Amino acid sequence: MTSASAPLPKAPRAGGRILDAQLHLMDRQVLDHDGVPVTTVDDLEVSGPALDVNIEPGSPAPVLTALLTGSVLGTRIFGGRPPSSRLIRIPWKDVAEVGVVVKLGVKGEPLDASWVERWVRDKIIARIPGGRHDPR
Amino acid sequence: MILGDLLGTPVLDADGGRLGRVADVRFVLAGTPHQLMAEPRLLGLIVGPHSAASFLGYERNGLTRPHLIARFLRWRHRGSFLVLWEDVAQVGARSVRLRPGFTRYSAALENGEQA
Amino acid sequence: MKRLLGVALGILTAIGGFVDIGDLVTNAVVGSRFGLSLVWVVLVGVVGIILFANMSGRVAAVSGRATFEVIRERLGPRAGLANLAASFLINLMTVTAEIGGVALALQLASSVYYLLWIPVAAVAVWLVIWRVRFSIMENVTGLLGLTLVIFAVAVFLLKPDWGSLAGQVLAPSVPQQETAWSYSYYAIALFGAAMTPYEVFFFSSGAVEEKWGVKDLAQSRINVLVGFPLGGLLSISIAICAALVLLPAGISVTSLSQVILPVAEGAGKLGLAFVLVGIVAATFGAALETTLSSGYTLAQFFGWSWGKFRRPAEAARFHLSMIVCLLVGIAVLATGVDPVLVTEYSVVFSAIALPLTYLPILIVANDPQYMHEHVNGRVVNVLGMVYLVIILVASIAAIPLMIVTGAGS
Repeated sequence: MTSASAPLPKAPRAGGRILDAQLHLMDRQVLDHDGVPVTTVDDLEVSGPALDVNIEPGSPAPVLTALLTGSVLGTRIFGGRPPSSRLIRIPWKDVAEVGVVVKLGVKGEPLDASWVERWVRDKIIARIPGGRHDPR
Repeated sequence: MILGDLLGTPVLDADGGRLGRVADVRFVLAGTPHQLMAEPRLLGLIVGPHSAASFLGYERNGLTRPHLIARFLRWRHRGSFLVLWEDVAQVGARSVRLRPGFTRYSAALENGEQA
Repeated sequence: MKRLLGVALGILTAIGGFVDIGDLVTNAVVGSRFGLSLVWVVLVGVVGIILFANMSGRVAAVSGRATFEVIRERLGPRAGLANLAASFLINLMTVTAEIGGVALALQLASSVYYLLWIPVAAVAVWLVIWRVRFSIMENVTGLLGLTLVIFAVAVFLLKPDWGSLAGQVLAPSVPQQETAWSYSYYAIALFGAAMTPYEVFFFSSGAVEEKWGVKDLAQSRINVLVGFPLGGLLSISIAICAALVLLPAGISVTSLSQVILPVAEGAGKLGLAFVLVGIVAATFGAALETTLSSGYTLAQFFGWSWGKFRRPAEAARFHLSMIVCLLVGIAVLATGVDPVLVTEYSVVFSAIALPLTYLPILIVANDPQYMHEHVNGRVVNVLGMVYLVIILVASIAAIPLMIVTGAGS
């Protein structure tokens, strides 16, 4: 039933660049506008469709609205994921470029996604002498 | 909807027959243009025999080296195909159902379209 | 000339890979028990690490992505996490062993009990990571570590029978008092030591630290072609010294003092001074390399900001994780466990980490999205596949052999 012996037809021209979620976006590094690492793409938020509801023919396709990060270590090992409200969003409008890494068009520092880094910096690293010293 | 929930879900045809699992979800940057990048619109689902290991994408991106690895992974994912959004009838928590008479397309990425 | 001086990264990587405390002792043990019959394994390992370090250096230079980022992105969360766990544990065990090794070397030089040197060593390592510029760190430790070449000098001064040495190397056989099992175990241990994952993590992250780009590909190649053969040479020299002095006398290697005995015999007091400097520098360099690797692997897996080129305040989690590693190392050593024993058991985790590390490198080095026109050539791919098979065999056989031989005893 699944093995097609003849080569499959090519999909109609899409009219834009193709991005496959798992292949091109998931687990990629996210860099901010200055090239500083922010986080990794743990998951993606899509605008639809509603679950277990019949989709009307001709209804518009869902769109990708945000990158998600914040998966907990335990869920990465054993499967499942934290509830959506606990995942941190990076809206798609902040994404500037997708290549080997995902580059944002904004600075990473004020983003929600950077809160752990800010916390460690303020509570621990900045308290050790020399923490703000430029090594170059 | 969270995309990670969709990946790996079994895909059934209109009569309930098993076709494979959602190996990947294909988007096209043809939606509303924003300041930086256009909105990605869902184009279709890549259905494969397993959902594991297709992250390497060998069955789609035309990479042929290293030879042995490429051949092994292509063999493992033979029978993968793309089904367009128009052919998706229902997305459920446990399965995705396609419309009767859906078309299987080749999942291969053209060189120009590849990210 | 500048190119030749810019090989410090390769040398430091090789020092941590070939002459860290675990290898110093293992090479001497091998020489004292098996003579030169395992030298071929070191040569096979040197070629392997040259191959993969070069690939990962190229990936880092062309795409700017260091090895563990590539691993996470290619293997996905589950397999990537398995690799992280294994690699991190190897790193942690090795950091512990190296701090202990620095302390042991200082004890040898000063006769002050080594437990007292442990906090000194750990703090010194941390200070260098916290404040010293990457290039200064690699140049100084690399240069000082090279004084271990005194082992090679000692080989000449011991006036060996070159013909019989060559015979042992080229026609290896299992010595009478050893079994094929222990021979195979040590073969795998030596191979695993030559190809330890933290070498490629450190080398590729170092490439990013040095901001290597496409124009530095030749530089990367020189680093690899100079550093690792040197490391292999040092490794083999230690084994030859042990084979010449310890084996005939039936001396078994239980601590650093037996390791340096041949140097004392061949090169006298001056040689002893050199070797003590060399051992302190090499174990210190290995401690730096493995501590930094712990930081690099965690940061690259989780997507944190990292790098010694950044202010510590701008790479907070990176630095915090390394501080924690050093503290854990001190705590473990304070229980009195033998540092060298700790490294012997990291062979177990290497078994998991080796294939999961090298497969993604091989794949990405072929990916034009990362490498543009600098993808692997045909020969490199063939060699890469051959070594992948060797690595798989080694990793599958490691744990059973360890159990059967009782870790080589």
